[in-house]
Amino acid sequence: MTNLTELRKKLDNKEISSVELTKEYLKKISENEALGAFNTVCEDEALKMAELADKTIAEGNSAPLTGIPMAIKDNICTKDIKTTCSSKMLAEYAPPYNATVMEKLNAQGIVTLGKTSMDEFAMGGSSQTSALAKPKNPFDTNCVPGGSSGGSAVAVAAGLCAAALGSDTGGSVRQPASFCGITGMKPTYGTVSRYGLVAFGSSLDQIGPMANSAQDCGIILNAIAGQDIHDGTSRRHNIDFNALLGQDIKGLKIGIPKEFYGDGIDGEVKNAVIKVADFYKSLGAELVEVSMPTLKYAISAYYLLACAEASTNLSRYDGVKYGYRTESPESYDELIKKSRAEGFGAEVKRRILLGTYALSSGYYDAYYKKALAVRQQFRLEHDQIFEKCDVMLTPSAPTVAYGIDSNINDPVKMYLADVCTVTANIAGIPAISVPCGVNSANMPIGFSLSAKRFDDARIIQFADVYEKSFAHPTANI
Amino acid sequence: MCAKYDTIIGLEVHAELSTKTKAFCTCDASFGGDPNTHICPVCTGQPGALPIINHEAVNYAIRAGLAFGCEINRYTRFDRKNYFYPDLPKAFQISQLDLPLCVNGKIELSTGTTVRIHQIHLEEDAGKMVHDDYHGQSWADYNRCSVPLIEIVSEPDITSAEEAAEFVSKIALYLKYLNVCDAKMQEGSIRADVNVSLKPAGSPVLGDRAEIKNLNSFRSIQRAIECEIERQTQILDEGGKVVQETRRFDDATGTTSSLRSKENANDYRYFPEPDIMAISFTDADIEKAKSEIPLLPHERANKYVNEYKLTDEDARVLTLEKYISDFYDETVAIYPEYKSVANMFLTEVMRRVKETDTEEIPVTAADFAKVCEMADKNTVNRNDAKTIIRFMFEEGGDPMEIAKANNFIVEEDLGAINDFIDNLFAERQDLVDDYKNGKTSVFGFFMGQANRGLQGKATPKSIKECLEAKLKNL
Repeated sequence: MTNLTELRKKLDNKEISSVELTKEYLKKISENEALGAFNTVCEDEALKMAELADKTIAEGNSAPLTGIPMAIKDNICTKDIKTTCSSKMLAEYAPPYNATVMEKLNAQGIVTLGKTSMDEFAMGGSSQTSALAKPKNPFDTNCVPGGSSGGSAVAVAAGLCAAALGSDTGGSVRQPASFCGITGMKPTYGTVSRYGLVAFGSSLDQIGPMANSAQDCGIILNAIAGQDIHDGTSRRHNIDFNALLGQDIKGLKIGIPKEFYGDGIDGEVKNAVIKVADFYKSLGAELVEVSMPTLKYAISAYYLLACAEASTNLSRYDGVKYGYRTESPESYDELIKKSRAEGFGAEVKRRILLGTYALSSGYYDAYYKKALAVRQQFRLEHDQIFEKCDVMLTPSAPTVAYGIDSNINDPVKMYLADVCTVTANIAGIPAISVPCGVNSANMPIGFSLSAKRFDDARIIQFADVYEKSFAHPTANI
Repeated sequence: MCAKYDTIIGLEVHAELSTKTKAFCTCDASFGGDPNTHICPVCTGQPGALPIINHEAVNYAIRAGLAFGCEINRYTRFDRKNYFYPDLPKAFQISQLDLPLCVNGKIELSTGTTVRIHQIHLEEDAGKMVHDDYHGQSWADYNRCSVPLIEIVSEPDITSAEEAAEFVSKIALYLKYLNVCDAKMQEGSIRADVNVSLKPAGSPVLGDRAEIKNLNSFRSIQRAIECEIERQTQILDEGGKVVQETRRFDDATGTTSSLRSKENANDYRYFPEPDIMAISFTDADIEKAKSEIPLLPHERANKYVNEYKLTDEDARVLTLEKYISDFYDETVAIYPEYKSVANMFLTEVMRRVKETDTEEIPVTAADFAKVCEMADKNTVNRNDAKTIIRFMFEEGGDPMEIAKANNFIVEEDLGAINDFIDNLFAERQDLVDDYKNGKTSVFGFFMGQANRGLQGKATPKSIKECLEAKLKNL
């Protein structure tokens, strides 16, 4: 896999043009249509953007991402390019505006190859709740690629793009990155604007890069991060995500939260992550045991918060203004009921119902308010943990990618599989998933690093150190 | 009012703020416009769009709160109020539930009743549905969507329909003086929901209440309450029980009818708006807001009495409407003869603006000041000045041009002035002698006599000059 730094050199040295590169990727995308990575491929727009990029490069004005062909998760608004959220509800919806991250990437002159498939409205961990393309794991097409940013993970892992954007509400960047053997990062909540990211759980959602290396993630984050006047929850910061690259990790402390290494974590996964810890130790990092007693409430709190927010965020899809509308409704009530009944898939409906219930009069205090209290406790607990260590090391998921359809009918089992990733969203901290080899069935395993809020550069530093010694697994496609 | 029952009324007054832009986006917030021309991804609830708080709206709401004696919450938060309606594109309204901007204020009524203000919170307006019954179609216009509103919630301290109407009109007047709301009821910028209940006179137990929604004129507020009192009185007289419900008032028939019962009430599933950070205020913020509050009606009236020496009644009438008071202030800023401007204004302008419904005076303060000055200096006589004002109202035009065109300018005949003074001196030789002996205060007497005798024929300025010359040459 070529990383962004090498691609930049090749483009700037005119070894390859952006148009040539874009055509290569478009060819690969069409050859691998069966992987189901894309809902929309925008060939014409991509080639136009590539031509413009080549001009900029020829003028010597290239930015780090000028002419780089990228894939964008289909819940990030792209002006006049369909943004479907893999839902029947938005199957024909082309936004009248660009997400802030797209404005920033376009300002650098990236090439948008297309929009990647995902779980419907980012709700799921397999990408199989998609009502449009259903992506498959390039390491074994009988297996899921993870989710919800499965299409982006597949596109990167199968070499269908140079890098991609995903979004992460409870692990939706990191878990598919782990399942597909690539690097994916969820930055600190508030570092990247959410304006134009179709909302799922507003207080948890964050856009993140999915790429061939931690350094690539840093390059993309440097392009898309920053306070945004269109997002009141974005924060003023001055992070250089790649600021600590190449620095020694000797003497730095790695927290090992024991709760993440117990029952429920697959043995091969556990061993692979312990090996990662040993590797860091061999470089002079110090391993410290830490504890996260509130972890047992993580899944419940996460699903309450995310579903409560989702239930109102998704109310706007009523068939009135845009999106799917039922045929010949008799009344406004029928218009809205039927449009929503026909336009949303089962998982989306399940979460809307959960969230609506949690916010209902008489249940609010018992559910939503308690979940908020858990979140508060989580933040305190993380503050305490990061007083003891610089980064925390955990598996990215309890297992490797599983067979398509094996979990899909058991929502509770699906929800529990998010246990390794949701904590970072609840606490608002940065976390990155990095591949650490494959299991006996040749399926990728990922480990995760997290740090205190706004210490994003620290986890990129650690991830980069590991990647300098261990190559990512490659899929045979 | 039936003495058998006590009437208990509480109001929720919604007032649209006159900010330039909307509450949560930068679209034009002004009234009207072609349908769906003041819209953007945020106020039409496009997927992925996020609200951004308009701090001008927050400041306006605080200004209103301070004027009504409220405490300002130092920590305030927004909440989502969830319900489906086609004029509400996000299917939730951004509002405030338990941490509103302002709490615990009060408004005094002329009846002596003090109405406590429970809270004032900031929220966004919905769009407008246009129904085409002929074709059986409905259209949504989102121009009004997300225009900032404040909701002023009273305690149930109001005891009659008249008091309720006064409460709302006092709010409207204050909001106008605060420059935070244009309070045009015909444009829907002030609307009220009223809660009415009756209880046996003197009983401490409150009765079940009915809420009447969306009343948009002082008159309909008063009428709706009157007929609701009548309805409830009848129910109670017949031994029945008032049902707690939401009702609607039909202006045409003057009756209320049930909209929905308590059982069918919406569960709004309020919860904290995750897209807008809570706001904290410091003491300095509040002090700054206080310093930005303009003079309120009673404060302006006090100024007129204490500084301008107007009568209490004149001051009261001049401050009944903000645009009247503004016009007076503007005129005296140009021509600071407070009493004479007030007199001319109250007799000649007031009458004419009262005949129209609009809050527009078709004459500029500068021109009006000019007419006042022309009359005071006898450039035209006072009756002609009034005619000039009439022309200005009816046809417009520059006062001096009107005066010239109609031969209103007083022609000065110095000979006549001198003759008059000579006659006057002859009649009052005693006073002339007094003057010669150093008693110069008699000058005022001569001046007064000459002004009166020469009214319409000479300006006070010329009379004064002639008089001075004559006295000098005695």
